[in-house]
Amino acid sequence: MNDASHGLEFAQTQVARASLDHCVKCTICETHCPVSAVTPKFTGPKFVGPQAERFRHGESVDHSLDYCSSCGACTLNCPQGVQIAELNSQARAVMKADHMPLRDRLVSSTTLMGTLMTPVAPLANAALSIKPLRTVVEKVIGIHRDAPMPKANTQTITGWLKKRKKPATPASRGTVVFFHGCAGGYFEVETSKKSIEVLEHLGYEVLVPRQGCCGLAQQSNGLFDQASDKVLKLCDELRAAGKDLTIVSASGSCTGMLKHEAHEIMGVDDDRLKDVGTRIRDIMEFLLELYEEGDLPTDFAEVPLTTVYHAPCQLKSQGMGQPALEILKLIPGVEAVESGATCCGIAGTYGLKAEKYDVAQAVGKPLFDKVRDVNPEFALCDTETCRWQMRKGTGATVEHPIFVVHQAYGLS
Amino acid sequence: MQRVVVIGAGVAGLVAAIRLARGGARVALLTKGTGGLQLSQGTVDILGYSPDRVERPLDALAGFAGSHPGHPYAQLDAAEVGAAADYLKELVGPGLLVGDPAVNLQLPTAVGAVRPTALASPSMTAGACVDGAKFVIVGLSRLKDFYPELVAQNLNRTELPGGGRLSARGVTIDVVAREGEVDSSGLTFARALDDSGYRRRFAQAVKAVVEPGETVGLPAVLGLDDHGAWAELAELIGAEVFEIPLPPPSVPGMRLNRTLTQLAKDAGVRYVPGSRVGGFSASGGRVDSVQLGVAGGPRDFRADAFLLATGGFESGSLHADSYHQVHEIVFDLPLRVPEGALVHGDYWGEAQPLFTVGVETDERMRVRTPRGDVVYDNVYAAGGILAGATRWQEKSGEGIALASAVKAADAILAAAESTTSQGVAS
Amino acid sequence: MKTLSADVVVVGGGSTGAGVVRDVAMRGYSAILVDRADLGQGTTGRYHGLLHSGGRYVVSDPHSATECAEENEIITRIQSHAVEKTGGYFVATHVDDPAWGDEWAKGATDTKVPFEEVSVAEVLKAEPRVNPKISRAFKVLDGSVDGWQLVWSAANSAKQYGAQILTYHRVTKIERDGDRVSQVVCTDEKTGEEVRINTNFVLNCAAAWGGQIAHMAGCPDVQVVPGAGIMIAMNHRLTNSVVNRLTYPADGDILVPVHTVCIIGTTDQKADDPDKLVIAWDEVQQMLDCGELLVPGFREARAIHAWAGARPLVKDSRVGSGDTRHMSRGMSIIDHSERDGLKGLLTIAGGKLTTYRLMAKNVVDAMCAQLDDPRPCTTADEQVPGSEDRKNYVITHRLEEREHDRTEDQILCECELMSKGMFTRALADQPKGNFDDLRRQLRLGMGPCQGGFCSMRATGVAHQSEHIDIERATGLMRLFLKNRWIGIWPILYGDQVRQTALDNWIFQGTLDVEHLPGPTHEEVV
Repeated sequence: MNDASHGLEFAQTQVARASLDHCVKCTICETHCPVSAVTPKFTGPKFVGPQAERFRHGESVDHSLDYCSSCGACTLNCPQGVQIAELNSQARAVMKADHMPLRDRLVSSTTLMGTLMTPVAPLANAALSIKPLRTVVEKVIGIHRDAPMPKANTQTITGWLKKRKKPATPASRGTVVFFHGCAGGYFEVETSKKSIEVLEHLGYEVLVPRQGCCGLAQQSNGLFDQASDKVLKLCDELRAAGKDLTIVSASGSCTGMLKHEAHEIMGVDDDRLKDVGTRIRDIMEFLLELYEEGDLPTDFAEVPLTTVYHAPCQLKSQGMGQPALEILKLIPGVEAVESGATCCGIAGTYGLKAEKYDVAQAVGKPLFDKVRDVNPEFALCDTETCRWQMRKGTGATVEHPIFVVHQAYGLS
Repeated sequence: MQRVVVIGAGVAGLVAAIRLARGGARVALLTKGTGGLQLSQGTVDILGYSPDRVERPLDALAGFAGSHPGHPYAQLDAAEVGAAADYLKELVGPGLLVGDPAVNLQLPTAVGAVRPTALASPSMTAGACVDGAKFVIVGLSRLKDFYPELVAQNLNRTELPGGGRLSARGVTIDVVAREGEVDSSGLTFARALDDSGYRRRFAQAVKAVVEPGETVGLPAVLGLDDHGAWAELAELIGAEVFEIPLPPPSVPGMRLNRTLTQLAKDAGVRYVPGSRVGGFSASGGRVDSVQLGVAGGPRDFRADAFLLATGGFESGSLHADSYHQVHEIVFDLPLRVPEGALVHGDYWGEAQPLFTVGVETDERMRVRTPRGDVVYDNVYAAGGILAGATRWQEKSGEGIALASAVKAADAILAAAESTTSQGVAS
Repeated sequence: MKTLSADVVVVGGGSTGAGVVRDVAMRGYSAILVDRADLGQGTTGRYHGLLHSGGRYVVSDPHSATECAEENEIITRIQSHAVEKTGGYFVATHVDDPAWGDEWAKGATDTKVPFEEVSVAEVLKAEPRVNPKISRAFKVLDGSVDGWQLVWSAANSAKQYGAQILTYHRVTKIERDGDRVSQVVCTDEKTGEEVRINTNFVLNCAAAWGGQIAHMAGCPDVQVVPGAGIMIAMNHRLTNSVVNRLTYPADGDILVPVHTVCIIGTTDQKADDPDKLVIAWDEVQQMLDCGELLVPGFREARAIHAWAGARPLVKDSRVGSGDTRHMSRGMSIIDHSERDGLKGLLTIAGGKLTTYRLMAKNVVDAMCAQLDDPRPCTTADEQVPGSEDRKNYVITHRLEEREHDRTEDQILCECELMSKGMFTRALADQPKGNFDDLRRQLRLGMGPCQGGFCSMRATGVAHQSEHIDIERATGLMRLFLKNRWIGIWPILYGDQVRQTALDNWIFQGTLDVEHLPGPTHEEVV
């Protein structure tokens, strides 16, 4: 199916349904589900996934499946290879094709939100932090009044790139393309800057092409057609930067969208996606690969830091373990304590919604407690929305692990 | 530094990874998902039936191996099996496993059979089925995987292995695990019981139905992360308490699995879940790397040694296709397949030949062909992938897994030592 | 000993018997149905679940085609809860001659079987898993039907008209008084008690076992040749419509979505004994090859269960070719007053489940004729109990029901979404039933895990009821595990091997069911 606009049809027919044949009902997915652990409203991944799927045809009747946050812990831990989370995402897309609430359209339009917010950042931040206004927002579109929202920056990554000085280190290792994602372009600009500086420090020339949204937010809200269009447009933009170049990203969830979700969940089957998906690396994965090859300088300065490291769901679901943990082990002084939590609760845009907010907070609680126990001031996490959720839930400063690498290389 | 890839995170893979990492190797543990340990009953079986009930498993091993020449135990002697069981016992500590590998406990199951096993959770041992024991089996109306009258009445009509009878009665109480549901899994109860406030309320409800002199049998849901929850409950109830393992999700299995996984990570093992090994490359009689089919395309994992601990048919490690051709899915290794039909129609009859299919190994646990040639110099196997056992019938699963895993890990470490001492770069 | 009496005794509780007892009861006769086992346990429950549109027979058997088309409309209406209006396609695969479609279409027109030729693209859009290499397709009104619901709802309708349904009553003898039938002698299989039923008329609806019954009345040599066919259920619906091959009827030419599964069928092998049907490995292979033709990748899909059914094909040397009661190729009524000089006994066999109501009408008409007591048949005019709302089955039913009641009731069989309430209600209705009897009504253990997770739960819940003591409860569990295995082992490959290994870990490993104390009386029926 080469036409991206067939995403919904794919979900209705092909689905990850073939993989449901592998299910032996062993309950392992249930034991990993962070949502059913905190609420009986969600029937759990085995139920809504391989079990309910056998009963689906035509009209959606099991609306409780919407409580699935798409964190993917079920698929990751399924020893039989059932694509449980993918099944659920597809079933949800079919369900929502009938009645899509306004807020699912709104929270999922991330570029629009960033573009609209940047020039008036102080105002946007103020507006989002004024409770009465947030209450109105909750009433009208169903985003919870206490939900964590991004703080817009006054400078976008593009703005920074235009104004900054050229890097000091000569590009001895060739060229890579940097994919910052929407959040890394508008909200989490520091992460992008530090990533680029680390790459340049290692001797790479870093190209940052003009780039749009990967469509993940639309995908996780069941808007497959829009999401498919976006991801392919992004592929074109990243490919335009250069053929065969490694693409590096510090946005773990958007990387997951390009690596596998667009294909597995929405059935996008396009050479452009395949090309980008196989060339893209999460930045910590990229560093670990260098290390495995003996190509990563390990002349790290000591960074005295004890901190929780939380690997986001969408990073874990890429099946590469937790590369950040392996890199952090190499830096003297750093004691990174694995969070042990399945999910922070936000799961993209899930925790923003009014009826899911309490569930998301309950899901995140073990993580928040862990941060408070280990280091209440500071924690590490690879993806943006999870950092927002963790900041909101703990009051701690939460940054991407590249911050520590940046510091250990003496760049900050 | 020696690099080792362990494939599979069941009890064999986890224990081998820990032993290798503690022995100085750099270990990556690749696993498609969560291992089978958390589906098990949380005990360590060595040998339960041969086919008669076994009282002293280590003593019985030599005779068993003699009558089962193709069985994994034919290559693992009693001393190795005992030492491997003790190794696991020490790893997880007395909070999770107690007992003597040489002596079987006889513990009740969730249908009221009396089941032999060597090591068990300390939360289970008060359920030993001995003459004169007096049990009250307490069920929870919101837990559908445990029926106390079924357990009690089957125990009542059982002539005990050591002779004599016990007396048991069943009673069901209605305790809410969490509001808004009547269908709570054992795990939901276990999570609730991690909370000391809930524990007190739960204990009160149980205490109300216990009569003096009775030992209390409960479904194995007495706390997940808090390994002392059951003991505190016993104190609150004022009687001895024992857990009876349930079908999955098995809370005692989860406790063991979580503990071992954490021990592996603490030992420096790189744990990579969600990683399906989809290919490999080999040269000169050795495997150089395995290929992970992960998001974004295949990634190579190079190593000096590879330990296949992928389990049997239950994990998909062995696949019987629709023509009844059986394949090992990682390295396409040669298998020992019995002659004739692989399945027969008698459910209660002889062990099904299909489930004895597996790989053969040499004395160092390297995979060999049925004719005896080592397939790759550096590919080892342990656990359920080994040919010749019907583990669920024999009650031999953990014994085989542990002994073969320890033996393979030691062989891998020894191989590295011998190459290093010969001055060859590893 | 117990003695009962009725105007009519119906022997056999398959679809024919259930249809007949409903028909005689609705015509105002007192009636008793007896079966040696449960309703629908024979051929009726062991077929592929197709409610024929008639399309299958438009060329080979035009008369049957028309009957099927007419009866399909009636059954879909009066037994709406048992029938899903799936629709169906006849497709020419790449090994079939598309030109034969012209002959087929002519046949369909002549026999008044509704159809429409559709494009290959339209079929693939509706059923994306169907082989894209098909060259031609016709759309028909095939449906799928739950044989057990069909039988039970007909039987319940008969009960409303005063009929008695005696399951687990094995006929041991049919007594005669001179040239008339006088009494049917049965054994109650659950209690061992002898039950004698005084009657004037016996309608032998024992199908593949009909020869044995006729013999008990002293009418020898009624040869009902069991034509055995195997069926395989796949784990989920590979198609949501019935898919037939556009060929002359042959083996393995149909895929039927029924409930959560889809069923490939079937073969046709002469069998010696309808109680000893085998599912041969080569027949399984033949079905899988046929499945592969219709749906590429069929062999990689998961098969969960197989069974064999015995078509009752009557071969009676004493019935001449000129016999006017020879209704059609498939449907035969033997009047023993003419054949053997015994009044009050008719044997019916052959036919199809789709036309069971019509068969019942024909045999009861024949009875009325012999009794010279014409009474009109009204079975086509009235909804059966449970289908009063005229709503047809849809696959989402149970998912929707559990969505509403799952916080108030437990789900015992998760694969088939059977709640504890459903189970305890069925058990109360049939306190002497075994788990297979309950399974046929509830789909207990019929999903992918094949009883791996629900058997113990069912045992525990059953044991909590008053009637079932520990020995019977344990015996019921053992019997259920054994019976499930009968349908698992012939298709044990691929993903079902993983499941079986896990199930074995649960039952033999964790629960150690093999070492439960044995029952004092082994048989649990």
